Amino acid sequence: MKLLTHNLLSSHVRGVGPRGFPLRLQATEVRINPVEFNPDFVARMIPKVEWAALLEAADTVPKEPIEGYEHDEKFLRKMHHVLLEVDVLEGTLQCPESGRLFPISRGIPNMLLSDEETET
Amino acid sequence: MAAVPTDSGSRPAAGARFFCTAGRGLEPFLMREVRARLAATQVEYISGKVFFTTCSDLNMLKKLKSAERLFLLIKKQFPLNVSSVSKGKILSEIQRLINDDPESWLNAISTWKNLLELDAKKDKLFQRAANPPKRKVEENDIINAKKLKTKQLQVLQESGECSLEKQTEEETQEQGDFLTEREKSQEAFQNDVVKAADAKNQKNLTFRVSCRCSGAIAKTFTAQEVGRITGIALMKQFGWKADLRNPNLEIFIHLNDIYSVVGIPVFRIPLASRAYIKTAGLRSTIAWALASLAEIQAGAFVLDPMCGLGTILLEAAKEWPDVYYVGADVSDSQLLGAYDNLKAAGLKNKIELLQVSVIDLPLPSESVDVIISDIPFGKKFKLGEDIKSILQEMERVLHVGGAIVLLLSEEHHRRLKDGDQSSIPLSSEGSHTGEPSIKKCLKPGGKTGTSETVSSSFEASSQECLDKTPPFGSLVPVECHKVSLGRTDAFICKYRKLHSLGL
Repeated sequence: MKLLTHNLLSSHVRGVGPRGFPLRLQATEVRINPVEFNPDFVARMIPKVEWAALLEAADTVPKEPIEGYEHDEKFLRKMHHVLLEVDVLEGTLQCPESGRLFPISRGIPNMLLSDEETET
Repeated sequence: MAAVPTDSGSRPAAGARFFCTAGRGLEPFLMREVRARLAATQVEYISGKVFFTTCSDLNMLKKLKSAERLFLLIKKQFPLNVSSVSKGKILSEIQRLINDDPESWLNAISTWKNLLELDAKKDKLFQRAANPPKRKVEENDIINAKKLKTKQLQVLQESGECSLEKQTEEETQEQGDFLTEREKSQEAFQNDVVKAADAKNQKNLTFRVSCRCSGAIAKTFTAQEVGRITGIALMKQFGWKADLRNPNLEIFIHLNDIYSVVGIPVFRIPLASRAYIKTAGLRSTIAWALASLAEIQAGAFVLDPMCGLGTILLEAAKEWPDVYYVGADVSDSQLLGAYDNLKAAGLKNKIELLQVSVIDLPLPSESVDVIISDIPFGKKFKLGEDIKSILQEMERVLHVGGAIVLLLSEEHHRRLKDGDQSSIPLSSEGSHTGEPSIKKCLKPGGKTGTSETVSSSFEASSQECLDKTPPFGSLVPVECHKVSLGRTDAFICKYRKLHSLGL
């Protein structure tokens, strides 16, 4: 699971609503995958990122996207690395409101809820 | 899709004429594709085959995604005259296919040989350029992030552009093995042909005839008989030898009431069988067709919330690589299969996987740009899920203006059309009554074999089905195409989200 994906995921436990984001990430096994750097693609992802959530997951990230980031290769390379190359293979995601834990196994988060837990 | 590249290599100036077979319903997609990808001209669709002319080389031809098989055209002419009762007369008609115009045969074979030679030359150049020494990854993959980061930076600086080198050795090996086998056999085959079809020595060619007969001609001769007749005529005319097991040249003959078509299959393995897909779920041609309607743009977030083995995402990622793809499924085994597929295709870095339920997506509203999915056909659903709750959740997570492209069974499509949940008789009679217009959908070309312009055929086939697709909440149907999946039919339906929910 890439950090870009973590940035999108939100808990859907019943009653939690928007307080289910972001999920707290606990990684026990991480791999760095080299991914071909595409500055244009990274620049397009930046506006989609929930920055506060990203900061929680990866503390090596600058506090916010800098002005003119589209042309700042150093910044883009750093974001490329954090968003696309860090791969969480094993760990958990925790709903900040309900405490419910979702396991990550072989890089795939399992967010299936039982019937009682899902929102109607 | 990239346009035809211009380079200085030897290429037939006027272009060669080809034809493709395509699944029923996919012909308009194929016509559009050959124009876009191969800058094809004189594009016609006649009774199950798409004919076109192009200057493209084998590399570009190989990329066709909505075709079943590709053939170099030797001849296309009026159907054989079978009105006479005499079998002998019909036999000589068949022989005339070969004897009347041997030039056209030799020209086609010469064109075919040129295509293979050009491809062989390019292969050698490519191999020399892209054969970096395999990099050994000494340490365990799974190590502390900080530590690996420093090492990785060094590797990045040394290795430069080639992304193949960056995979771990294990992955490179597995993917390499998988792809190389197919490519090796195609390459060996091509080399054999080039040698055998050498201009002076065309007599060294071995061949096999593959025949299909339908309509009136099939009442007089079986396909095998026609095959034998033509085989003998070819041996007499050109001196080739027959080889049923491993011929250089395969001749494909299709005789029916509308035409007589003769061609040479360009590749041994059908185009529809993808080298990069280890285990196919959905038919690859249909998966690509779905993706081609979805308006995937660079930087988009594309979701398949019922991805199964990931076929749709694989096809999409190969064609539109600069996109963020996520596949989701409830099933452990499907996800494992998808993971394997991604690994074999070398696309693990392009496609993320999640284990979630489509009617309960853990994604914020309006966070997805494009949704493409093959909705499982009825029987595999868990209790309580139905097409409407699925569509509802898809609608929620989609951006306004975003597109949804779905493959729906006839039953799902009917459910959406009728707007209620009462059960509908599923017998085959039940599904065909009162729907004559669907039958019209099946033969956009008509029986007279008129050639169609690309866009009019596309729209015509869509409009019929579109009339039966109502809007769903804020999702407005954009187009709809009936396609054949072999034994059953299905609908490719595209929706667009017009406005936010709650407005």
